[in-house]
Amino acid sequence: MKPAPFTYSRPADWPAAVALLGGGARPMAGGQSIGPMLNLRMAQPEGVIDLRHLPDARGVTVSGGRCRIAAGTTHAAIEDGAVPGRLGAILAGVARRIAYRPVRNRGTVGGSLAHADPAADWVAVLPAFPGDAVAVGPAGERRIPLASFVTGLLSSALRPDELLRAIELPVLPEGTRWGHWKFCRKPGEFSKATACVLAVPGEAPRAVLAALDEPPMLIPDATALIAAPEEEASRIVAALPGLDPWRAALARTALRRAVRMAGEDA
Amino acid sequence: MSPDGVGQGGGQGVGASLLRKEDARFLHGRGRYVGDIRPAGLLEVAFLRSPVAHARLLGVGKPADAEARVFTMADLAGVGGIRAASALPGFRVSEQSVLASGKLRYVGEAIAACVASSRAAAEDLAAACSLDYEELPVVSDMLTARAPGAPLIHEHWPDNAFLETQRDEDLSDLDGIAAAKVTRQLRTARQCMVPMEGRGVLAEWDPRLEQLVVTSSTQQPHIIRSGLSEVLGLDEGSIRVIAPDLGGGFGYKGILLPEEIACAWLAMRLERPVRWIEDRLEHLTANANCREHHYVVTAWADRNGRLLGAEVDATVDSGAYSSYPFSACLEAAQIGSIFPGPYTLPRFRFRTVSACTNKPPILPYRGVARTGVCYALETTMDALARQLGISPARIREVNLVPPDAMPYRNLVGKVFDSGDYPEALRRAVAHFDLDRIAARQAAGECVGFGLAVFCEQGAHGTSVYHGWGIPFVPGYEQAMARFTPDGVLEIRTGLQNHGQGMETTFAQVAHEVLGVPAARVRVVHGDTALTPYSTGTWGSRAAVMGGGAVAEACRLLGERALAIGASLLQAEPGGVEISGGAVRRRDGGAEVTLEEVARTWYRRPQNLPRGVDPGGLEVTGGYRPDPDTGTHSYACHAVVARVDTETGEVVLEDYVIVEDAGQMLNPMIVDGQVLGGLAQGVGTALYEEMPFDASGQPLAGTLADYLVPGAAELPATRIDHMETPSPWTRFGQKGIGESGAIGPPAAIVNAVNDALHRFGAEVMDLPASPARVIEALEKARAR
Amino acid sequence: MTRLPIHLTVNGEAAEVLAEPRTHLADLLRGELLLTGTHLGCEHGVCGACTVELDDAPARSCITHAGACDGARIRTIEGFAGDAVMEALRGAFTAEHALQCGYCTPGMLITARDIVLRLPDADEVRVREELSGNLCRCTGYRGIVRAVLRVLEARRALKG
Repeated sequence: MKPAPFTYSRPADWPAAVALLGGGARPMAGGQSIGPMLNLRMAQPEGVIDLRHLPDARGVTVSGGRCRIAAGTTHAAIEDGAVPGRLGAILAGVARRIAYRPVRNRGTVGGSLAHADPAADWVAVLPAFPGDAVAVGPAGERRIPLASFVTGLLSSALRPDELLRAIELPVLPEGTRWGHWKFCRKPGEFSKATACVLAVPGEAPRAVLAALDEPPMLIPDATALIAAPEEEASRIVAALPGLDPWRAALARTALRRAVRMAGEDA
Repeated sequence: MSPDGVGQGGGQGVGASLLRKEDARFLHGRGRYVGDIRPAGLLEVAFLRSPVAHARLLGVGKPADAEARVFTMADLAGVGGIRAASALPGFRVSEQSVLASGKLRYVGEAIAACVASSRAAAEDLAAACSLDYEELPVVSDMLTARAPGAPLIHEHWPDNAFLETQRDEDLSDLDGIAAAKVTRQLRTARQCMVPMEGRGVLAEWDPRLEQLVVTSSTQQPHIIRSGLSEVLGLDEGSIRVIAPDLGGGFGYKGILLPEEIACAWLAMRLERPVRWIEDRLEHLTANANCREHHYVVTAWADRNGRLLGAEVDATVDSGAYSSYPFSACLEAAQIGSIFPGPYTLPRFRFRTVSACTNKPPILPYRGVARTGVCYALETTMDALARQLGISPARIREVNLVPPDAMPYRNLVGKVFDSGDYPEALRRAVAHFDLDRIAARQAAGECVGFGLAVFCEQGAHGTSVYHGWGIPFVPGYEQAMARFTPDGVLEIRTGLQNHGQGMETTFAQVAHEVLGVPAARVRVVHGDTALTPYSTGTWGSRAAVMGGGAVAEACRLLGERALAIGASLLQAEPGGVEISGGAVRRRDGGAEVTLEEVARTWYRRPQNLPRGVDPGGLEVTGGYRPDPDTGTHSYACHAVVARVDTETGEVVLEDYVIVEDAGQMLNPMIVDGQVLGGLAQGVGTALYEEMPFDASGQPLAGTLADYLVPGAAELPATRIDHMETPSPWTRFGQKGIGESGAIGPPAAIVNAVNDALHRFGAEVMDLPASPARVIEALEKARAR
Repeated sequence: MTRLPIHLTVNGEAAEVLAEPRTHLADLLRGELLLTGTHLGCEHGVCGACTVELDDAPARSCITHAGACDGARIRTIEGFAGDAVMEALRGAFTAEHALQCGYCTPGMLITARDIVLRLPDADEVRVREELSGNLCRCTGYRGIVRAVLRVLEARRALKG
């Protein structure tokens, strides 16, 4: 279980990093997703581009009602309160249940999202927020709505010559209610079904159903689900193709419990 | 609950919860495991392994620039195959080529050894090899292995079975007289043992001693030496096997490995140290090798719950080859003899099959067949109780062997040495408020109570194993004891300590006999050059056999010391005794310390008496209990489980173990063994499973797929000890090392099924995963 | 193959090693620096046997790229001499019989030390959750959990 040979580069700035893309090199942030794949030889890139040392690779800034989380911000930083306010509290709760603390100390929000494993926590949760992924390519930055960022198993809307630079989320008012439920047989295990519900006062509530081996499914207006979670969850899950009875049960349960948790969230 | 420091030896002897002597090195990262040893010139090996489960191997293409660094069976001149036969009538012998030759019989079977200066480079070589093979139909399931027309794994066999055993008894009248009859079909999953350290071997040729030195992560260094000798054609004197610190064993390291043989051969051929360290991918996908059983059980009882008879048809998926030394049939054939469990079963018939499949060869894992048997028997007992409308405790109580029947010989000839089985049951049940559980159930909570009672045979010896006729039969266990010139007591044992705490417990035994402070006792083990022959650490035998042997060696050494001490004290030998680390006059006068005795023997021989035994202060003592049919520890596991009917998740709320290990050498260590076994048993019950698809591919390649219980999955657990001495062992101790892993699947699934009873649902197959619980509920709903 | 120069501070001492770019941190520590107290249990980040302290926080050395650690400070189980929390944990591990084969122990201790320092108010449920990234196959965890709680409680008692 040792990786196949690859080259290692540590670009000094973002344009240099972007320029290294192509030619079979893969970006690496904390390396906690790609590390196992390299060891197992499930990934055999020509080279690895280390993004960890880039300027502004990590950190959180808030301005104009938007919170920008640099892609290289670690799960542990978010768990420990790097993101302020109501949004930060919500994200901290998500972060705390990602893998294990030693993994969270290295693993990053951007790395996890760009890796696009449907069972990963940020992949499952971030579409609930009306925010964007900020990509950087040869022509500069562009924004991709989080709800359409992950497009399939290990595939995203990033173009081959783009890197994920940051995530931008709306600052949330106090009074925002949040429900997040996932099923893991052990703490730190990949989720087998995740749902979350975000209810911002004065806006239509949003919900996501995820971690079902497919890209996350956004329910942009979850009013009906919240009003009748039993029936709506069954209806939503029945429309999903190919779920075995257990995963279907988990999916229904995830939606119902996320709704309930949002309802109980004061 | 653990009686601290109750031994006769003043807090360090037998019965004391002495803290472990071996901890310090591990706590500082100074344990020395095979992967930590890096001699100059080390070469590393990666194995090219079979990607398919069944094929005719037509050729191996070596990378053009590296032909001299890739070795196939064709290169291994003079190396024989691995043959682990059993003398049981009808046993079919498989011959396992060290590297595959002619045929590939399971995914992961080693085909070529690739040698390089680093493991990564060796893996590059393996990846650069090409394979030519012709796939054959696969036998992926034990039940279809013997179906007409099934492809033959060993083509000269008439069908895919290593062995079939049976016991006939006509039970046809029982239907007419029984008040209850149940039949259950059950399965246990194929598992990986997952010691935290995998296997590993480092082989070197020592030109000075003209000796092959094999450092291997093995539980049985002496057995490995014999096996290497047989396969390599070297005499045993020219092989030394060292077992350094082991990162867990559990049975996984009780095997002669093809990789060991290949590395040994390479070291001699290349005249360089050569090592192979198993990685987790190899462990999971090439060596998933234990626990896979299938049962059809029928049991009959009268209206009071008394068993009238039982019938079991058991199949064990033994994989593709017979492993050395325990063979492919130990597990299945054992089922017949242990199925009656701790009960007074009056009538019994069985048939067992050791099925050959395209999977890795099976090995005995902690508990061996007992975990599966306990699961099959104890879930059947609960089903009977439910049918009769009596409590699970009641049906057990009326069938358990009563204490006044001990020692008890059951209908298949197993002899239970001592104990009060019903008392263990009563004590376990008394820990719970069953009315409260019933009230919760009545209030609609999906919660249940489960029990399992079982006994564990340990340290069984010659009289049991000679009948198996496998490559070794355990006989007398020996230990060496000697004083160093400064009076340190050295104990040498051929057993191997890998977590069981023998460096501490054997020091306690030595202290008990000679009174030497435990801190002044050193236990040397794990090296054929330094220790007497032993079949090694397996079968819950170390405390009984090693404890007895160490005590005997110390007694003999004490006699030598006594003679010298008496002379120094100018007393008759009959007028002195050993106590508290000194030879003392019985009349209460002077004493001379054992250190002084040692100093006299080694450094002041002019002071020795005439006629002193010239053998000096170095002795070998041997020991075997009489009879040596084994001790029977026993236990009752009791658990409260809650089931989430929406997700299928099972949560263990409370767990109680009442167990009897006879006289405990060290209660703290007994607890550790029981709790460690429990964690593995919880894994068997709820989490661990290596599925194979129809083409024989293992499907759980990482620990993210193969779930091993962590701290959060283990329930709060209480242990309650009983201490009924075995009448047959040196201190009354009984083997307990495997016990903890035997009861949990039965107790937990009984609790789950108690919880699911009101839905009419029942879980049959292990693990009782959320998916299986939901499936059971949906099946019940559909009815 | 071009080797990568990597500068590290390991257990307080500067180290410069040349390694193949594909090397992970655990292999660098074990193979190049002979710090074999860091163990490999799975090489995919689940079992925790390889846990070391990297820039003052526990990390998985088996899935952390060695080259990415250039300039980092690392502490392995061999590097905690005189550390009061580690000494307390070692004593507690022995007192509670929190180890058997010892293979998971170095990673377990480094995780345990992080729990004690980062979560001074942790209760048993939290300790079990936080230990979930470190697998032990021998002990059943009770001794480990009790050892961590013993040290936490002693420190809480000290603070009054």
